[in-house]
Order: sequence, then C-alpha cells, then structure tokens
Amino acid sequence: MLKLTNFSVQDILQNINVQFDEGKTYVIMGKNGVGKSTLIHSIMGRPDLETEGSIEFLDQDISELSVDERARLGIFVSFQTPVSIPGLSNFQFIKQSLDIKMPEMKAKLDNFKTLSSQMNLPADWDKRNLNTDASGGEKKKNELIQLLMLDKKFAMLDEPDSGLDVDGIKTLVEQLNNWKNKNNTLVVVTHYEQLIQGLNPDAVIVLQKDTVKVGDKSLAEQIFNNGFDNV
Amino acid sequence: MYKNLYLQNVGLTPQLSEDTFYTLEELFDYTTTTLTDNFFDGSVSPRNEVFVDAYIKNINHLRNVGMPSKHNEQFNNANLNKLLDFNILINNNFNKMLNYVDDDVSSISYQSNRLVFSDGAVYTSNDIREKKPFNVQVLDFIHSNKSRQQEYIKFIQHTDNFSNLTFAFSPFTNIVTIPTGSNDKFYKNPLSIEYRNITEEPYLECNTSIIDIQHNLKVKINESVKATAGQMNFTTYVLRENSELILTRKSTDLGGWNIFDSVFICHPNSKLTIDTENNGSSYTQENFYINSSFKNVVKLKGRNNILTGNNFHQYVHQTSNDNDNYSSIDIKNVGHTYANTSFVGRYDIGAMSRNFDGNMSNQNLMLDKETKMHTRPILDIKTKEIKCQHGCTISNINEEQKYYLNTRGIEKPEQILIKSFLC
Repeated sequence: MLKLTNFSVQDILQNINVQFDEGKTYVIMGKNGVGKSTLIHSIMGRPDLETEGSIEFLDQDISELSVDERARLGIFVSFQTPVSIPGLSNFQFIKQSLDIKMPEMKAKLDNFKTLSSQMNLPADWDKRNLNTDASGGEKKKNELIQLLMLDKKFAMLDEPDSGLDVDGIKTLVEQLNNWKNKNNTLVVVTHYEQLIQGLNPDAVIVLQKDTVKVGDKSLAEQIFNNGFDNV
Repeated sequence: MYKNLYLQNVGLTPQLSEDTFYTLEELFDYTTTTLTDNFFDGSVSPRNEVFVDAYIKNINHLRNVGMPSKHNEQFNNANLNKLLDFNILINNNFNKMLNYVDDDVSSISYQSNRLVFSDGAVYTSNDIREKKPFNVQVLDFIHSNKSRQQEYIKFIQHTDNFSNLTFAFSPFTNIVTIPTGSNDKFYKNPLSIEYRNITEEPYLECNTSIIDIQHNLKVKINESVKATAGQMNFTTYVLRENSELILTRKSTDLGGWNIFDSVFICHPNSKLTIDTENNGSSYTQENFYINSSFKNVVKLKGRNNILTGNNFHQYVHQTSNDNDNYSSIDIKNVGHTYANTSFVGRYDIGAMSRNFDGNMSNQNLMLDKETKMHTRPILDIKTKEIKCQHGCTISNINEEQKYYLNTRGIEKPEQILIKSFLC
C-alpha cells in the first residue's frame, strides 16, 4: 500500500525504510520526540516538513503531490491535537470534505448524526464549531467520525486514545476494528497497552532517528516490560 | 445632482460646464465660493426658502471648516488624497456596473414596503404612500410640510466635513417617520431602503435623510447601498424612547465609490442593532456616530470581505453621557490582495455616564502581503464606574487550519476559512 525508501525528514528522521501492506494494522512506538508525529505528517505532505527519498502509495510516487491530492488518493491523518476552526460547523466541515455528490451525499450526511450519537457526542454536535469548545475526548471522537465517513484507504492515527475515557477507548477499538478490511491499512501511533491489545496489530514498528525495528505484537510487550533502550 | 439642485430647485445656472466638474475638491471650491456668492447677490429665485436658508447656512459652515484632512480621526488611515482627486465623471469599473441589473425606479411602485433614495429624491412603493393609520410618512420635496421639515432639520448633527458636503449637495432632506401605533408591524414586514445612483451616468449623487422611529416601536430596516458612480449618503436615525431598530446594511461594489455617514440619536431605553456587510469599492467610507442617552443597548456587527484592490474605511464613534448604556462593537474585515482597509473605533464616555458596559473588537484577516490593514481603538473615558474592553488584531490565514482542511482533501481551504472567519 505505502512504501518509504531512504526517507528522511529534515534532521529529525534519516533514511527510513518501511513498507505498509494492504489489509494490515501497524502500531508505531518510539521515545518522546523521536519523530512519530513528524513521520505521519511528512507522509501526508505537510508543507513545512522537507523530505528526501521516496514515498510510494499504490505504486505511485507521491512525493511531489500536495496535501489535498494525497488526501484525495486515500491517505488520512488524524491529529494528536485537532485544529479548531471557529465559524465552521462540524456538519459543514464534513460536507465540504466529502468528495461526492447527491444523493450519495445525503445518505452520508445522515450517517454523520448516527455516528455522533453512537459516540455519545452531544445532540447538537453537527451545529457546533469544528473542535471549538470541545473536550479533548470529543475532538478525538470527531477525528474518528471523519475517518469512518471519508472512505480512506490508508489511515494514520496520532495517539487517538489520548483524552478518551474507558468507554471511549472501547468504542474506539470497536469502530477501528469495524473499519479495517482487506483493502485498507491502519497505522496507529500509541503507547496505550489496551488499545494495542484491542487492535491486535500485525506489526509493531519502533521508530528511532535513523532506524526502524519491526516486530510482532510481542515487541510491544517487551517495550512495556523493559523500556525502549532494551529492545 | 447639479441638475436637480441648481437648475430645477434653486434656479442657479452652473458656472462651469459638466466636463469641468472633476474632483470633490473642485466641487467644494465651486460650492463654497461661486454658489454662496450667487445666493448673497440675490440672483437666485429660491422655490423653497426654508431649504435655501439651510443651504446657505450649511455652505457657509462648509466654507469655514474646509475639506477633511488626514488629521481628521476618521481619515487617519484612509487614502484621502485618492478620494479628493477622484474624477467623479469617470466610472472606475464599467464592467462591474454593466453587470448590475436591477429594476428601474418605476417598478418600485408595485413592490411592498420599499423606499429608494436616489440623487436626493425618495421613490416609494405604493403601499408606503397609502393614507392609512400607522403607515410610514414620507416628507420630501413633493410631499412637503415646511415647518415639520424645518423641525427635523434641527436633528442634524454635523459630524465631519463630508456630512457637511453631503448636506450641501442634497437638494432636500428627506424625512421618513414610522409612527407610534405601528408597534411591530415594520418588524414583521421589514422596510427595505435602497441607496442607488439614479442613472448609469457617472455623476456624484447625494442623499440626506432622517429616519424617525417613534416611541415604543420595534422596526427592522434592510438597507442596500448600490453605488454605480459617486454617492454620498448622510442619514440620521432617531430612536425615540423604548423603541428598537434592527438595521441591516449591505453594500455592493458596482464600480462606484461611496461615503456613508450614519448618525444614531438614541433616546432612553432604546435598542439599536446594526448588521453591516461590505465588499469595499474604489473608495468606501462608512461612518457610524452613535449618541447614547440612558439605558441604551447598542450592538454593531460588521462583516466586511474587501475584494482585490478595493478600499474600505470604517469609523465608529459612540458617545455616552448618561447611565447604564451597553455597547458591543464587533467588526471583522478580510482584505484581499491590494485591498486597503482601516477601522477606527472610539468610545467617548462622559463624566456622568456610570455603568457603561462596552466591548469593542476589530479582527482583520490579511490574505496577502500586498494588503494594507489598519486598526485603531480609542477609549476616551472620563468616569470610573464602567466596564470597557477592546481587542484589535490583524492576522494572516492560519497555516495549521489550512493544512487541516487540506488533509481532508479540500483543495482551496482559503474560501472556507474566510467564511468561517466572517461568521
């Protein structure tokens, strides 16, 4: 699905080589400040991050594509701290983000209210301004709704668990497991044991400045037991 | 304007040919010298002495105060020279003007609750002119009542030099009265007032008006300003005791330029809500002068999306000389490439004004490095027992917000961010 070859981001990450396959779930772990968020935002094409090396998505080199072009190809990133935009309602935001026309649009938008309700968001969530006057957990739920509605193939979630309560984590795991299928790929940056167990990842990637260590779920357990320095 | 004022109504023959009326400065010189001298030597045969007296008085005043200078607070940041040098006979953008398709004045008769101020005259829909209880009353050149009009003219408070000029250039002060007893009739069915140039000829046209909202009324007025050439408006709104005015004003760029002075005389317990929208023009100056008395509530909201190359200058001046007044001034401007905008807001709180509660906010979104935006809040407070705050900002598009929208596949997030900013 997505392949990084000799991928460097400024002086934060050097010569990263990693491949994410279809139908699989990956967890990215690493010490604070090692560049986990930088990695996923550079894959998304964030303009202030200068990159070298190649990014191939569905066998196409996307390194020269803009952020919105990458998004329309099917790449999704959820933010660790979602950006608030006063004056833009959640409903309008979703409507603008959906790249489809009526009547399919109407069915999608009806689903927005259902999802908001399932996530225990307030009844007027659709009318509220995007990520404004919302708790950390509500913002994270909103990111999840966007992922579920926007039909993406490759999703990168940056600490989707932070700010969520116990029930919220449970819902997150359920929704992500429902979202996963043989045609898409899920990449989650997290250090939360319960989430890793719930998602049952195919691979755990431990990120360091110039290397990546890839292992199965047991690699996460080693880190929880012994810390990053001993893996 | 000249045809109306000097030939038909006053009987004065213009001393210069049409082509030589070039700029506001030249008009000023002509009005304050040639015209005044002609009045005094008795060569005119005024049709209506009351109004001619007002002209003479005002023109003399105008001659004394002179034209506005950059030292005027209102024009601190405005490119005043550009305005004074405008060739008023040349329309700056014929394309914009030609795209302006609207009904002509004759079709207004068949509409409802509608008034058009144009070149000093008032055109109304038939229902406005109907003689029935509690209907709107219009006093103009045709339906005049000299003594009443003279009384109303006393309401006019000259605020800056352009309002003097507008008054001097207006053939008549038109008076619209919404009488007590109409209750909320004109809230449920709002009045629509349009300020427009009478023809597509590029003349300077001026309107001086007084709108009197009488006691215990709730009135909504939807105004639109459509300048296809030079247009200067000077409107005084009188809000009597316990009345409420909800005023929306939308100015469209049709290639002309526009100066609009609005004076609000708020009697005790009156409420004023103003909602304005502007796109700017080759020169737009919008001035609000709000005079609060006692227990007034004033809410002014401006949402101005100033298009490429346009000018927009706004001045808001509220005075409070008595107790328990509330004010909220909330202006947001977006400046596109080469736009030039300014906001000057002033609270003048007198020594006898206690418990004034005011909040002045001006936020500006600058879309390009070639955009010029100025903001200046002024709080002149002569008393202690008040609550007053202000906040003025100028910022660019937030790159983080832009990136966030991009990540959701939105190609041009700027338009969404502009809309959300102006919300």
